Amino acid sequence: MPNPNGAAVFTTMLPTLLLLALAAVTALIGRLRPGLPASFHRWLSSIALVGAGIAGVITLDGLEHTRGLGLAAYSGAVVADRIGVFGVVLLCATGLVAVLTSGAAATRLGPRLPAFHALVLSATAGGTVVAIQWEMGMLVVGLGLLVISLVGLVALEKTAEAPGEVALRALAGGGVALALLLYGLAIVYGATGSTNLAATAGLLAHAGPLEGLGLALTVLGLAYLVGAPPLHRWVLQVASVSSGAVAGTVVSLAAAAGGIALVRVLVSGFSTSLRPWVVLAAVLGAAACLYPALLSLAAGGLRRLIGLGACLQGGLLLVAVIAGGIGGDYRPAGGVTALLFGLVIFVLSVQASFLAVARLEIDGIGTAVADVRGLLRRSPTTAVLLCLGLAGLAGLPPLGGFIARILIAESAVAAGYAWVAAASVVASVIYAIPAVRWMATILVEDDEQPAVISETPRLTALVGVACAVFGVVATVVAGPLLYAANQAATALR
Amino acid sequence: MSLLAQTTTTTSGVSFPTLVFTALVWSALVFALIVIFLPEQTREQRARIKSLGTSGASAALFFAVWALESQIADVSVGTGGRPGGDLVEQHNWLTSFPIASSYHLDADGLGLALVTMVTVVFFCTALAAWRNNRHVKLLTVSLLTLETAALGVLVSYDWVLYLIFWALPVVPVFLLIRAFGHGHRVRAAERYAALTLVSTALLTLAAALIAFQSGAHSFDMGSVPVTLHGTGEQVAFWLITGASLLVMAVVPLHGALLDLEEDSTGVLSVVFAAVLPSLGAYGLIHVAFGFFPTVGSSYSLLFAGLAVVTVVWGGLAALRADDLRRLIGHVGTVMMGVVLLGVAGHTTVSVTGIMFLLIARGLVVATLMLLTSAIQERTRRVRISQLGGLAWQVPYLAAFWLAAALTAAGVPLLAGFSGEFLIFTGSFPVHRWATTVVLAGTLLTGGVLLWAAQRIFLGASRDVFVRVRDVGPLEVTFFGVLLAVMVIIGVVPGHFAGLFENGAAYILFPGTS
Repeated sequence: MPNPNGAAVFTTMLPTLLLLALAAVTALIGRLRPGLPASFHRWLSSIALVGAGIAGVITLDGLEHTRGLGLAAYSGAVVADRIGVFGVVLLCATGLVAVLTSGAAATRLGPRLPAFHALVLSATAGGTVVAIQWEMGMLVVGLGLLVISLVGLVALEKTAEAPGEVALRALAGGGVALALLLYGLAIVYGATGSTNLAATAGLLAHAGPLEGLGLALTVLGLAYLVGAPPLHRWVLQVASVSSGAVAGTVVSLAAAAGGIALVRVLVSGFSTSLRPWVVLAAVLGAAACLYPALLSLAAGGLRRLIGLGACLQGGLLLVAVIAGGIGGDYRPAGGVTALLFGLVIFVLSVQASFLAVARLEIDGIGTAVADVRGLLRRSPTTAVLLCLGLAGLAGLPPLGGFIARILIAESAVAAGYAWVAAASVVASVIYAIPAVRWMATILVEDDEQPAVISETPRLTALVGVACAVFGVVATVVAGPLLYAANQAATALR
Repeated sequence: MSLLAQTTTTTSGVSFPTLVFTALVWSALVFALIVIFLPEQTREQRARIKSLGTSGASAALFFAVWALESQIADVSVGTGGRPGGDLVEQHNWLTSFPIASSYHLDADGLGLALVTMVTVVFFCTALAAWRNNRHVKLLTVSLLTLETAALGVLVSYDWVLYLIFWALPVVPVFLLIRAFGHGHRVRAAERYAALTLVSTALLTLAAALIAFQSGAHSFDMGSVPVTLHGTGEQVAFWLITGASLLVMAVVPLHGALLDLEEDSTGVLSVVFAAVLPSLGAYGLIHVAFGFFPTVGSSYSLLFAGLAVVTVVWGGLAALRADDLRRLIGHVGTVMMGVVLLGVAGHTTVSVTGIMFLLIARGLVVATLMLLTSAIQERTRRVRISQLGGLAWQVPYLAAFWLAAALTAAGVPLLAGFSGEFLIFTGSFPVHRWATTVVLAGTLLTGGVLLWAAQRIFLGASRDVFVRVRDVGPLEVTFFGVLLAVMVIIGVVPGHFAGLFENGAAYILFPGTS
């Protein structure tokens, strides 16, 4: 490998290095000074995440000198281009929400709260590697760091028996997914002789059966991250047994990194001109939308409903990714733009929904139908937060999720996959019915239980409501958000 | 020069953006947002919420009349009733996507006709809602949101906006029926939600197909007619038609909406029966036929057949109906069948008639539903067989019922006459048999309403109803408003005719001036 350019290495790796360094510092301080208040760790982690986000944005300035191509380091193994910057900022924002709302998990985590912050930072760091990599080795390193950190987050709640078991299962699932990805990439490497994803598309112009298998395994490995079936069970398990704050953090960070990885590996690396993975992703995307939507009709608890909603979002991301190339009219189909736009909305909807669950936990309210009946009268803020989160997951108008679904359907039609678009729309319709049913239970039905004085920390409540309200505001500011997503997508053209 | 043109440009050369449609659509929602943050514990607090609800509906009515009169004034210069006049609002919105979308509000004659009807109905509904004291905030916020959604559908000229407004009623309607419904309210609410969501899905696919295949690379709905390759036109036309028919309450897709009307109470049934099906009719005529006039006209016979089936089935079902809300639902279905005949006629005269009839239908159904609520509130009965001899106690209620029944029957000098006369005249040369059958069905329905009036109000006075009182000042106000509009349209249809004719010409012959 040629000698790396020092400035480019520093610039591209700065967010990751910053996050990893602060993760180590947080873990160390937590170990050495266990008596420090939780707010200290919260603000230290926040500073790290804001700093990493700003560092990512600063690299945009460097892009001017590369005519938008991006700063490359390590022979192009990492590239700080617009999509990388978009990914870094999104991941840092997701991590920031997790850190600011960590107060909701304080009771269950106890003295392990500094470890929670350290793991959030290291998971975000793993995600940033995925966002800026253009090389198979870096991809595996980034995903490995991300998955191990997320499994650690679930395992942190080991005082409860169920989360420990789920962490083990998630670890096993993550291992299988990483193995699938690794086998897939190894086959692709064998066929092309290059580990550089930027060169893969050109070298794989005529994919044979073996290359097709490599592509398929890679798609399956990435589908795990976004929680798309058939590797979606970990999302449901985490949603069911982890605390709301931890579940929200794990699922949203995985989705954010997974969404960016889908674009990086499949659209940018393999290119949509390679039919095998596109067809597989189309079938998988349609199934991944419909399956959780159908299951949601029988969901008996809020946690499962939210988990299934997160899986549905994973399916929608797969639908968007197949439209990442040129449409039938020789113009960009807009799949990547729709995916990035949708990713922001989906991540915040998942966070808002799980934060509502966290509020319920803190206030001693369950998540079954009987528990949330007439919640509006007992705990108005939680009820509104929960309903906005559910409406965001269901893509009900006028929330931003609705626009995201229209854009994804449109891009799939433009790419010649009208049937996949139809499946995604039908799935959204199906999921919306139980979501509306739960909203009616929460908002309208009467119950005899007394009002609840919320014990949720004010900052957690504020950030949670801000996430939920963003779903509404996103419709109004959809123009600028879509502009940012489109600018990021131009890096691939 | 229209009213609006005089206000949009100042003499100093500084021009202000036209905001009439924006104000029309969003004013109700602004009041709803204020209401959300108000308490509703005491009687005074509830009264404040109701006042804001009425104010929101009044504001929308004000802007609707402004837009209507402004467009009527522009008829003489040829722009009134056609999109692209003085009131158009278009601003960039989602320009960074390969298929661009804009904040585009406009209205043609059909849109303005329905805007007028919708705002009048919601204004009267807001007044009628003063009698309710349960879930006041939920009712007010939901009604104002529903008004925004309905008006948004009627003035949106961009697919993304149109879809947002189209699907917006799902949550408020679901919550309202769960809170105020009776009988099989859960089933009715879920069926309605499924219906609306499926129609939204069909429209979303149609929008995606049109935006991509038309080559315009835009979600804008202002460029008509649309040309698509191959079977694209057929697919898009039927997707939009299917979505529209689902919410129009026409046979055989009428079950869910009729259940919703029957299982709801009070002011809800007014909105469900009068407003929601009209939005479906707007989708069918303005979007499906407006975008694909050639495809639409090739299925003329099919629509005539559907009109006949709807009117005959609706008329016979009305004859058998004992539940008052069910009866009114069937009357609405029959009137929608007449609208379908006008669609099948596909002439300027018949489409002009549709605009008159849709206003009349909304007003008639709203009046009858409010009368039903008034009767139920006084007698605790809603079945015709359990009523009788009420005219002695409630003569004004009986008079209002009679006026609505005569309007539905198409009696001259009332709103229904212009619409039905123009539809039958315009459709007869094209579909003689269908027009004859539909005419007979309409007369039958008018007769059924009069027969119902006889069974409810005439006959010997019953002891059980002796304490029933007649309408109060509040009821006189909203029934009076509805009756006044029916009479105004019936007496001076010429005031609106130019606007509606221009609108009809725009739908039938898009692209021509």
